[in-house]
Amino acid sequence: MRRAPGWLKAYCGGIYTFLYLPMGVMMAFSFNSAHRNVAWAGFTFRWYVKLFHDAQWAQALGTSLELAVSAAVISAALGLLASYAMARHSDFRGKRAYASLLNVPMMMPEVILGVGLLTFFVRAHLRLSFWTLVVSHVVFCLPYATGTIRARLMSLKQSSFEEAAMDLGATEWQAFKRVTFPLAWPAIFSGAVLAFTVSFEDFVTTFFVAGIGTVTMPIKIYSMMKFGITPEVNALATLLLLLTAAGLLAHYLLAGER
Amino acid sequence: MARSEGDVAALGPTESLSRREPGPFDRLLSSVLRGERTWASHLLVAPTSAWLVVFLLAPILLILIMSFTARGPYGMLLWRFTTANYVRALTPAYLPILLRSLGYAGATTALCLLLGYPFAYALSFYFEERRGMLIILLMLPFWTSCLVAIYSWIIVLGREGLVNELLVHRFGLLSAPIQFLNRPATVIGGLVYFYLPFMVLPLYGSLEKVPHSYIEAAKDLGANPFQTFWRVTWPLSLPGVYAGSILTFIPCVGDFLTAEFLGGPRTYLLGNLIQNQFQMAQDWPFGSAMAMILVALLAGGLLLYQRLERQGVEAGRV
Repeated sequence: MRRAPGWLKAYCGGIYTFLYLPMGVMMAFSFNSAHRNVAWAGFTFRWYVKLFHDAQWAQALGTSLELAVSAAVISAALGLLASYAMARHSDFRGKRAYASLLNVPMMMPEVILGVGLLTFFVRAHLRLSFWTLVVSHVVFCLPYATGTIRARLMSLKQSSFEEAAMDLGATEWQAFKRVTFPLAWPAIFSGAVLAFTVSFEDFVTTFFVAGIGTVTMPIKIYSMMKFGITPEVNALATLLLLLTAAGLLAHYLLAGER
Repeated sequence: MARSEGDVAALGPTESLSRREPGPFDRLLSSVLRGERTWASHLLVAPTSAWLVVFLLAPILLILIMSFTARGPYGMLLWRFTTANYVRALTPAYLPILLRSLGYAGATTALCLLLGYPFAYALSFYFEERRGMLIILLMLPFWTSCLVAIYSWIIVLGREGLVNELLVHRFGLLSAPIQFLNRPATVIGGLVYFYLPFMVLPLYGSLEKVPHSYIEAAKDLGANPFQTFWRVTWPLSLPGVYAGSILTFIPCVGDFLTAEFLGGPRTYLLGNLIQNQFQMAQDWPFGSAMAMILVALLAGGLLLYQRLERQGVEAGRV
């Protein structure tokens, strides 16, 4: 393989610096003991400790976790059913239309999804609550969960384990329960983790359909950002970033198992 | 199958696969899984499609209908057909926002392409041994919350941000802080920062598929590096260029957080206008008309993409 010329290496290094520098600065200053300024005044965990003693913050974290778990479980369950038909059944009528329908949430700008759902819930006389939020998050989580699961079911199709099970007398349902499902489980879990991550860090859709009573972590960050840079927001945003990174890492490690 | 050992272990003892006559429940589920009949496939796909039809397509249809209604007193709706909301979007009060959105999104897309293409090129043709790591490093910013991305720029560029702190207090180069925020260039810079991975990933996807043998062949036939790029690599990467451009342009037009925090009313985009109509001004019909303009842009972009791709296929570039 050809070696990259020096200037190209430097260029790529520059791009990565551009992408990571601001976030790195933010993370570093979340450990800064100075109150107002970005001048470095010594290392501290104070802002994190302060966050963990703040009841409002703990509640926002709890809401975000509950929301993301609910959205992830629902989208993985629905996604598994749909992926099975998409990956395993021979071409049926409407398959292509369905595949394009599943792409719509990924293409649609989130602001449209937000105002659309807000209008929909208000016109349907549904009170905005935690559950309207779950319903909304499932919409944009579905493509991610389905994509991951479908890829695994496609690759399992090539293996002959199910055929072997059925040759030994298992019915399709038994083969699914005992063979396909356990083998697809890492991908199902990995799809759910991706959906969890997407839901956990979502701001735009949540912003429109959260109503007054429901405060998620990104909503909390947004309302704190309105008051400018504070060390607490640095810490909160750093935590959100680290949780996202952890979720993605888990997703890739699990999905990489195939 | 590299991990066949573990996979076999997951099967469990073979004798536990029951040989007795399957019950009616088992037979029903099996016939659904077998999917010989269309209804079985539809049954499995139904929950997901119903969810998307009810909570995605119906809401969009609803705002389409609402965009042709009028606003009554107290933000109520008057159900009579009118195109006034669309006409209003083209009045001197709102047209500049629309044009600015297109301009900013266009500039962002062009900059992302300019910055991202050499980067995606390097990722697909060099760095073979570290490629996996480099791609993962690109995925993290791709998935980062836009809120965190914007916030981190405020820390760097804000009035009391890092750059001003260094220039004014640490090194004493300036007597007063530079105003970075609330400038068009900063808003576009923020958009480029957030959407760059959306451009690079599709570019990488299509550049990676360019067969190295084509490039070797062009060289053997006497093409210089520029000719090789312009006649071989660039045409083959066009699907990625189109896809990346749509994935950058459309969300930029609808973005409202970047302009809200890094800019101000002078840099507001269509997304800010939509958000404002729904949350502050309570003029939902007008907000809906603005939202439908964005949907129309998306639809137009997708149609253009399909057309360009088909032309590419017909021209034999695949």
